[in-house]
Amino acid sequence: MAPTTRAFATRLASAAAATTTKSTTRSTAACLRSRSNRRSYHSHDHPPPPGAFNTAERQILSAAYRHVPDHGFTHKTLSLGARDAGYLDISTNVVPEGPFSLIKYHLVSKREALAPRSAEIFNAPVGGADGATPDAAAGTRGQLLTVPERVERLTWERLLANRDIIHRWQEALAVMAQPSRVPASLHELALLSDEIYHLAGDLAVDPSWYTKRASLSTIYASSELFMTNDCSAGFGDTRAFLRRRLDETSSLAGVVGSIGQWVGFTASAGLNVLRSKGARI
Amino acid sequence: MFSSKSLLRSLRQSGQLPVHDFLAPALFAPTSRRCISTTTPKSNASAAAPSNQEGSAAAGTPKPKRKPLTKEQRDFLSSALRVNQAGELAATLIYTAQKPPLVNAHPHLRPLMSHMYEQEAGHLRTFNVLIAKHRVRPTALYPVWSVLASGLGWGTAVLGREAAMACTEAVETEIGTHYNSQIRSLLEMFEGWEAEGYEVGPEFRDLVGTLRRIRDEELEHLDHALENDAKQAKPYWLLTSVIKAGCRGAIWASEKV
Repeated sequence: MAPTTRAFATRLASAAAATTTKSTTRSTAACLRSRSNRRSYHSHDHPPPPGAFNTAERQILSAAYRHVPDHGFTHKTLSLGARDAGYLDISTNVVPEGPFSLIKYHLVSKREALAPRSAEIFNAPVGGADGATPDAAAGTRGQLLTVPERVERLTWERLLANRDIIHRWQEALAVMAQPSRVPASLHELALLSDEIYHLAGDLAVDPSWYTKRASLSTIYASSELFMTNDCSAGFGDTRAFLRRRLDETSSLAGVVGSIGQWVGFTASAGLNVLRSKGARI
Repeated sequence: MFSSKSLLRSLRQSGQLPVHDFLAPALFAPTSRRCISTTTPKSNASAAAPSNQEGSAAAGTPKPKRKPLTKEQRDFLSSALRVNQAGELAATLIYTAQKPPLVNAHPHLRPLMSHMYEQEAGHLRTFNVLIAKHRVRPTALYPVWSVLASGLGWGTAVLGREAAMACTEAVETEIGTHYNSQIRSLLEMFEGWEAEGYEVGPEFRDLVGTLRRIRDEELEHLDHALENDAKQAKPYWLLTSVIKAGCRGAIWASEKV
């Protein structure tokens, strides 16, 4: 089943596209075979592995993405995109998962756009945009913020990236909630929260690594859901919602941390009292 | 006459009288015992690296490129860094838990225990930095390893000096083997790249250098444990085989999750 589909897709891509070169066709076959890259060792020295989409897919999807505000995440949008990119309508078969690929394209491209955006926000000199005189000696704006503040800012930037398609996002959430799509959707969510914590400069590698990312994923997903029904100017209500959730999490984390510290202190003090009494422990 | 001649000759050659060798061997014999602070210098570990690089650069294209990591390589590297961090965490906790009961009973072990703890804490810092830099997730069993390692350290220290040293010996033997196999896999990876005409980045040269340095320090702890009568622990075979099996199980699990 799988090899015939692949062969069909390859033949289709090469036959359909007068504009595509031979190398594109070859990379189509190669990338259809490779699944989306799992999150693992990130090298700073060696070139990154190929992305989630190949050239043909990227062309069709980016062209189709412009039609999403009008036609939603549907097959029709994909066909329109294929036509715009200079392919036949039927070549949407190159995109293996149909509308879900379009959703994934949105998630992946917005996640990848977060890194340059974060550099733009946090590397700006202090006071530059507020009308005050830029002061290079005071450092960049990112240095003044704590990690939770940077996390809040980045999460908000990511939510704002949904602005243009937010009226279609409920359909997308419904597709993502289908049982066969749930693992891929959750994986994308995990990649997003990891990206946010990485860009915020969080270096913790203890069990809080998991709790932080899990809580951020929950908060992001609920804020996104809230945003689909938000009619306030500039999504102000969504930002207030996001801030409340993040504050609740940090106060909960503070309570848990304090309890842990108290238990640890009492235990070690008790142990030391026993040792001072001569117990060989 | 003849014997005095030969004596003079040997005096000229060695600069010291041969009789000293058997009269007071400890004074003149080259010290084979390792000092506490001995570690292999870092330059030694990375000395082989540049010559290889130049060789491939001269043979291949003028500016060799670096190859993207395959999925298998990235999986190997992330599980390697993860298991190393977990191992060093456990080692730090074992020494932390061993120190109070052991030093209480044998005060002369205090400098040795502090020294070994300092080195393990340094290794843990190294891997914490690496794991954050390369965006590898830490092991999900972190709390489990913390509890088990503290329990192991405390338990063996309460059993006595020999048992504590047998624990160190068993753990360091396993860890040494483990680091060696990692270094071997990395060198195989380098050979593969160089055979295809690609360059190995400094990131990986440094990683192998770091692993070699840490391995040597772990094996040094093994020597210290043997010097301190690890072999005299009472059920020696039982203690070491149980601890070794536990280490292998922990390594296996930490590579997965």
